[in-house]
Amino acid sequence: MTGERSHKDIEALLGAYALDAVDTDEAEAIELHLRDCPRCRSEVAEHRETASFLSHSGQPAPEGGWDRLVASLDEQPPELDMTRFAAGPRAPREGEATIITPARWRRVALAATAAAAAVALLAGVTVVRLNNRLDDVKQQVALASGIRDQALAAASDPARREIRLASTQGQPAATGVLLPDGRLYLFDDHLQPLPGDRTYQLWGVFPDKRVVSLGLLGHDPDVALFRGDPNLVALAITEERAGGVVSSTNQPTASGPVTA
Amino acid sequence: MSPLRELSDTALVLAVSRYRQDALAELYRRHAGAVFALARRVSGEPALAEEAVQEVFLRLWNQPDRFDPDRGSLRSFLLAQAHSRAVDAVRSESSRRRREEADHRRTAEEGYDVEHEVWDLAVAEHVKDALDRLPREERRAIELAYYRGHTYREVAVMLDQPEGTVKSRIRTGLRRLRSELSSAGIGGSE
Repeated sequence: MTGERSHKDIEALLGAYALDAVDTDEAEAIELHLRDCPRCRSEVAEHRETASFLSHSGQPAPEGGWDRLVASLDEQPPELDMTRFAAGPRAPREGEATIITPARWRRVALAATAAAAAVALLAGVTVVRLNNRLDDVKQQVALASGIRDQALAAASDPARREIRLASTQGQPAATGVLLPDGRLYLFDDHLQPLPGDRTYQLWGVFPDKRVVSLGLLGHDPDVALFRGDPNLVALAITEERAGGVVSSTNQPTASGPVTA
Repeated sequence: MSPLRELSDTALVLAVSRYRQDALAELYRRHAGAVFALARRVSGEPALAEEAVQEVFLRLWNQPDRFDPDRGSLRSFLLAQAHSRAVDAVRSESSRRRREEADHRRTAEEGYDVEHEVWDLAVAEHVKDALDRLPREERRAIELAYYRGHTYREVAVMLDQPEGTVKSRIRTGLRRLRSELSSAGIGGSE
């Protein structure tokens, strides 16, 4: 597979690839390589960025195009794609959720925590750059700008469900809200920063006790946006090595219910 | 909430992910023209270019999380999709033969230059200068690949050059362009 083409061979093709100027089999080989090579991914992104300047801006859009587009948008928001939650154990790729062994969780006491005032929820909300490529891509979108406003709006959304996570000693660890469309904002005010080679990982629990990884909070978390699911009944946070894990052998640092 | 025109592309994509149609409308206003122009230039077919615009923005609506602001601007993300779509559509046997004939003619006539259409005022002169400064062979290889949708192998045949040379010229040319644009202050996301 990758043995047929050396790294140098792939590199030589990256300019052409970025311009869609390679054959199908070459494109497939390159795409396979790109999954594991951030340097080459970065080079392709740069070439594409350069190429974007070769085209034209300031052009009017085609007549009637917007009306046609609006007509084809779904009226209802699309269903959250749950198929990725059903995947078996394998190394997670960007944006994928994974399942951890349910047996681990029988020891977890999903304790309720004291209610936190809405004001406390919003205190100290700042944008932080998550430092790991395993995170849900949507988080990256959120963090680049606007998350403060979005988080504020979510925290006062009447359809929200509250999240309160506490340590096994009952100390508050994190709070958050879950919106009906699955968006989950987590405010990690009380989590202690970890060394740079560690990360917090967020897990969601479903009514049938299935547990899935929702993503990473990074080693110094503050506020984060995750792609959750309206059916979640509880959440938990574990400490893991940077990059996260497919299945956790650790006791949760914090856990708690998603209130009705 | 800020007026939509003041929000960054990334903030608008986040709003799209929350099913805000007005955010999609603003992104359409900003980028649909460029998407259309590129698809039309590569494919030579306005109807196909219109389809490409529809597909690209529909995909943005349904899968906003495919955009990664770390990887580049939303403009380059949308244009890359449109370009790929246009190239796929025209890479058929008959249309390729037509285009190769047209390109052979143009190559033979020499001196064909970048199409003169309306450019963004802030960027146009710098991009034009950067392109003009490219070694001619690098520029030709990039133009034939990008604007005409040829693979590097086809370009090698058309220019009667080794494939390795064409590959290398495309890559070097893109790097050189990036460097030129960057020293002119162009090339950061948003």
